[in-house]
This record gives sequence, C-alpha cells and structure tokens, in this order.
Amino acid sequence: MTSENDDMGLAMSSISMFNKSSNTSDSFFSSCWDPIVSQSGSLGGSSMASHYHLVMENQGISGTSHVSHYQSDPSFVELVSKLTGFDGGNLSQMVGPFSLPQCNQVANGNERGSTNSLRFLDEHRISKEALVGTSPNGKIRKCAPESGSPLRSCKNGDEEPVMDLSSEGCDGPREQARKKPETEQNTGANSRGKQAVKQDKDSSQSEEAPKENYIHVRARRGQATNSHSLAERVRREKISERMRLLQELVPGCNKITGKAVMLDEIINYVQSLQQQVEFLSMKLATVNPEINLDLDRILSKDILHQRSGSAAVLGLGPGSNSPYGFSPSTFPGTISGIPNKNPQFPPLPQTVLENELLNLFQMGFSGSTMDGFGLNGQLKPEM
Amino acid sequence: MDLHNLNPSSLKSRFTTRFLRALTEINARKPIASSSSPREIFQRYRRIKDAADTSMAYSVRSRRTWSKATLWRLRTPSHRRRLASFGRRSSLNKTRTTTTASHRGAVVVQITSRGGGLGVQLEELRELVPGGEAMDLCNLLDETAHYIKCLTTQVQVMRTIANLYSLE
Repeated sequence: MTSENDDMGLAMSSISMFNKSSNTSDSFFSSCWDPIVSQSGSLGGSSMASHYHLVMENQGISGTSHVSHYQSDPSFVELVSKLTGFDGGNLSQMVGPFSLPQCNQVANGNERGSTNSLRFLDEHRISKEALVGTSPNGKIRKCAPESGSPLRSCKNGDEEPVMDLSSEGCDGPREQARKKPETEQNTGANSRGKQAVKQDKDSSQSEEAPKENYIHVRARRGQATNSHSLAERVRREKISERMRLLQELVPGCNKITGKAVMLDEIINYVQSLQQQVEFLSMKLATVNPEINLDLDRILSKDILHQRSGSAAVLGLGPGSNSPYGFSPSTFPGTISGIPNKNPQFPPLPQTVLENELLNLFQMGFSGSTMDGFGLNGQLKPEM
Repeated sequence: MDLHNLNPSSLKSRFTTRFLRALTEINARKPIASSSSPREIFQRYRRIKDAADTSMAYSVRSRRTWSKATLWRLRTPSHRRRLASFGRRSSLNKTRTTTTASHRGAVVVQITSRGGGLGVQLEELRELVPGGEAMDLCNLLDETAHYIKCLTTQVQVMRTIANLYSLE
C-alpha cells in the first residue's frame, strides 16, 4: 500500500507534459496497454516507468502521441484513495475499466465526479505538470477507436520519439497536445472548460480519431485542487515558460530572475532593435550602391551567411541603454556627412547594378521565383 | 560557403529578397542626386524604413498579430487609423481598467494594477510590439519572442546591406 502511494507520489511529481507540437498521429494504445500492463507486474515506480518505456520501444512504437490528460477535479483525490486499495500487482484489474475503445466513453464512463478538465495548450513542454500517467489507475485517457490502427500508425508515425515516456510512468494511451494555432481558441475556452465537460468533449471530438484539443490538468500532490487555482497555476506556468524563452532570446539575461526586471530588459532590447532598424534605414537612405563590389561573393556569403551573433553581439549588460551592437560613432558621422557626401556620388548606372544584385541573389535560390515582383508596387508605402 | 546549403525559404532569405527589391525600386524611383536636400533624404529614410517593416511583415505572412498590425498600420491612412484604434483601445480598456473620466475625444483611464504589479511594463511592451494592445500577457509574450526574432533578422540583413553599399 505504501509502496503504491509512494509510487504514485513519485510518478506524479515527475511528470513532464508533452505538448509537443509535432504532428503525431493519434495513436493510443488501449490495446497495447494491456499487454504492457500485464508484463509489468510490479508497481515499482521508476522501474515501471523504465520497463514501460522499454516495452514501448520493443514494440517498435517510436512515435506515439501522448495525451496530456490531466484531471483537475477534487474527486481525483478520492479516486486515488480508492485505488490505493487495489492490490499492487493486479494491474489488469485496474486497467480494465479504462481500456475502452472510445475516449469519450472512457471519459464518460469513468466519470470521476465532474471532470474539471482545463483547456490548456502550450507548444512547449510543461515540465512540471502532474500527469495522469502517475499510475495506470487513476487516468482517464484518450483511446484510439480500435487497436490495430493505432499500432500501425504508431509505427509509421513520423513523430519524434516519446522521450517523456520514461518519466511518466506507466502511461496509457496518450493524445497529442494540440498545436499552437489552437492556443487562442483554447485559452478562450478555458473558462468554459472548467465545468463538467462531457458535452464539451463530445462536441470537440470527431468520431474516429478524437483529437482532443485541450489538456486536462491534474492536481499535484499536496496542492489545492480547486479548479480556479489549478487554472491559475497552469496560466502562471505558461507565462513563466514564455519568459524563459524570451530570456534566451535577449542577450545577457541569464542571471536575471524575476519578471519585472526581465520585462524591463525585454523592453529595452526591443526598443534598441527598433532604433537600430531606424538607424540602418537612415544609413541606407544616404548611401549609394557602389559599382565596384564583388557582389557575387559578398552577397552570397555575407547577407545570407551572416552569423546571427553579430546583431546581438554587444550585450552591453543588463540595464544598459546603449544600442545593442551598434556603434554610435558611425551614425553621427553619417549624418554630418550628408551634405558633403552628395557631390561625391558619381552617376552610377544604378539600375543595372541593382538588377544584377537581385539576379545574383535569386540565382542562389533554386526555387525562388519572381512572384514577389508584383508585390513591389504594393510594397511601396503610400506617402 | 556553399550557397545551396541555405534554406531558400527561411525568414532571412525571404526578407532579404523582398527588401532588396523594395530598395532597388526606391532607388530607381528617386535616385540619389548630388543635390539631395535633407528633406529628400528624410523621405527616403521613411520609405526605406517602411519598406523594411513591410518586407518583414510580409515575410511572416500574416501569421502573427504583430505582422498584421504592422501592415495595417502602414496601409491605413492615419485618420482612419485613429478612429479604429480609439475604438479598439477603449474596448480593451473596459475589460481591464476602470474609466474614471470619460471626455469626448479623450478617455481617461486608470490602469488597475493587475498581474502582480507589472502593469506599467506591460503597457510599455504593448506599445512597443505592434498589435499588442489587445492581447493578454501570455500571447503578448509569445508575440514578443517572435517579434524579437524577426527584428534581429531585419537588423542583420540591413546592416549587411548597408555595409556592402558603403564599402569603397
């Protein structure tokens, strides 16, 4: 009993949610769940996890879609307590009520009170979300309609291998989290999804390959299971995930912790980038293309292969207001030199040069067409 | 370096193509004369900047809110834009701020400090990122990340072109 509790606690806290935005096929394996379960006789948490992972791999199911299926209703706690009464090795019993062909039916049949499923989507992993797969027991999963096709589609799936399997414990059929385009839709429906969502699930799913477009969140061990707080937690984690991404984008922000300072940095960086665009466009306005450039070599190498570090290279440290990576000295020189420069411009055959420039550029792309040429007229801003 | 290793449909290459085309057209329409007044140069600068922004927004293909907002900003005449943005901002502000005084032509709103005291910075960020007025924090951060990525690309390409052009 205690081992089971420990197992579930362990597995619950070590779940990573896999909202992979890959186009994984909807392959769940309610059918292959059973053999796997029967094979794994014990409920040792990590061993079960690894065993399951191995078994999955053995079956050649490399790309599986996984349902990040969380249940966030208070009755989960009671469910868990109920299931702890089960014998540890008798997994097939526990799995029995779960391995239903239709996920709708599963969800509806295994009604654990009101399923407060949260509509939640993220394209990145939410590494700390408690996953249903803690134990094979308390999970409501999405099942494939029939067992054969999931297996086949599993094998033919072109998705990335489910590396999260090992960390989830015995996870049953999973469903792929929706992709990003549905984020807005789901966040909008977030509040709606908080009530009992039987009808939501039915309406949102097609018949044969139920691609659920929301993710159920399960309460973590020792945390409040109020639907609002769970939703809040989900939202907060989404936001922190995005902040982490931004931290990687903005140079020199590795040591910053805290949203406020980070936001300041982000604002500064965006402002400096916009300023740089303005400076550069001013510079381009004053400079004429020279004729004696080795356009071929330079274009192909420099523009396209410019290393991305150059733009953000001068991380002048957090809080600094200097333009990033732009030496201010050049610009005033350009500005002051405007009246002087103009007499020096020789009359260049500009059109020939620029057409040549464009042609060289386009030759580099085998597939590029002149389709954008029609845009040129539209590209001109109305002045 | 092998040119063909480059992804021809990457953001950078798309932007570069468009921008170069726009640049050549700008130069063709009004070549830099020896007697360009600062005003003409300023006009050129504006055109180039708008062309750069439009090129970048087009390269993203309107999949993003900021790109749509940029294109809209550049295309809609300013008077129509003011009306539309007035409506948009006031409708947004209703949801999250309290309108303390409403004056014809000017809406005075008091921004409630929501989201843990990040209000001021959030507003700044909204102003910076085009189209960011009507988004919640989560999506706003997403848009900002993509916007930063595209801005860095833009800066890189423009700097390279400017360097090329100014080589002697």
